[in-house]
Amino acid sequence: MDIEEVKQRAGPREFSPKDEMPEEYRKAATRMIQFHANSEIMGAYLEKPFIRQAPSLDRKLAFSAKVQDEIGHGQLLYRAAESLGIKTRDEMLDELAEGKGKFLNCFHYPMESYVETPMIAFFVDGAAMRRQATLKSTSWEPYAHAMDKVCFEEGFHVKHGEAILYELMTGSKKEQEMTQEAFEKWWPRIIQFFGPTNEKSTHHGFASEVGLKQMSNDDLRTAFLNAYIPKAEKYGLEIPDEPRISKNDDGTYEVVEEDLDWDEFFTIAKNDYEPGVGQINGRKAAQDAVEWVRESLDSHENRLYGSSQPQAAD
Amino acid sequence: MIWEVFRQEKSGDYHKHCGNVHAPDREMALLFAEVQHGRRKPTNSLWVTPQKEIGEVDTEDTAFGGTTDKSYRWAMTYNFEAAASEVEESESEQATADRERKAQIEGGS
Repeated sequence: MDIEEVKQRAGPREFSPKDEMPEEYRKAATRMIQFHANSEIMGAYLEKPFIRQAPSLDRKLAFSAKVQDEIGHGQLLYRAAESLGIKTRDEMLDELAEGKGKFLNCFHYPMESYVETPMIAFFVDGAAMRRQATLKSTSWEPYAHAMDKVCFEEGFHVKHGEAILYELMTGSKKEQEMTQEAFEKWWPRIIQFFGPTNEKSTHHGFASEVGLKQMSNDDLRTAFLNAYIPKAEKYGLEIPDEPRISKNDDGTYEVVEEDLDWDEFFTIAKNDYEPGVGQINGRKAAQDAVEWVRESLDSHENRLYGSSQPQAAD
Repeated sequence: MIWEVFRQEKSGDYHKHCGNVHAPDREMALLFAEVQHGRRKPTNSLWVTPQKEIGEVDTEDTAFGGTTDKSYRWAMTYNFEAAASEVEESESEQATADRERKAQIEGGS
């Protein structure tokens, strides 16, 4: 199939490993799904410490279930990416460990305090779920299948995050103040979650022409703001003055881009942002620590079947 | 090695394909399938099979049901009141299948 035919046929779940897809499509889809898979893994590691730090048994159990879910989503997505035949799961995991794998801006910032958890668990996950819901109709079928399961589980994550936010914002004055402070710290990052406006996004055009991406960053940001600004206000959070956000008559939002730190954003995008490097190295240490498990699984498989590599024609 | 995973929701249902996992052998494929695919949705049983062992024939290879008019094999063709409720049910199932099949042919490539 050539690119013109791909663009013509591009529709929800249109292409699968049975189709001979041009390399340009397979590379673009790999880049997108690998980014998504990496983000699931890095998000899980970000929240992992709060299994211990959460203040009640219920919260610990919920965080533990959620972290398991996110790792599982990573696994599903690496499978969907592998099915494009560009990279194996091992290669993608190694790239992530070596600081070459890219992932969401918000997961480069460490979380230091429990009051920060709803910023990830409610707002970032809410933003992610908005995007994931649209990806149920991406053109790469294995990716869409993964989204069915991811969205099925993600509902609990966002609700859990909202429950923590509610609890904190109806708690002591001190808790409310700390939560507002955390919100002010995270809000600009959350707005940047959707990336720069369309003109600046380099990959959007092609990904949307071949049906991989279903909605533009601007539309996703608008949908997110429409749903989550009222929620934030409902729980008594004050929306920070910056970035300046104004609502147009047609329901869309205008975000004043100069109010956001794009230098930091693009440093993060290159995996050069210092706290983020710590996050990457932290996960690398975990990967190294269980290298012996992977090795023994691989040698076991070799003994049984002669090879542990996924089939070339996979 | 990649193993395809099939989940049965409750006893007596069909096992339906739900995804695939990496695993070095069948035992671990079952374990990983359990963790990744049997945790939340109702699950009574899981099957795993090596991906290489799956055979497939699809609409590119064949015209399922043939290309000639086979209206004679559909209950709806015979314009009599159904003799019993089970005949009526069967006819209604056939009507649904026929509708979906036609929609697929029209909507498909």
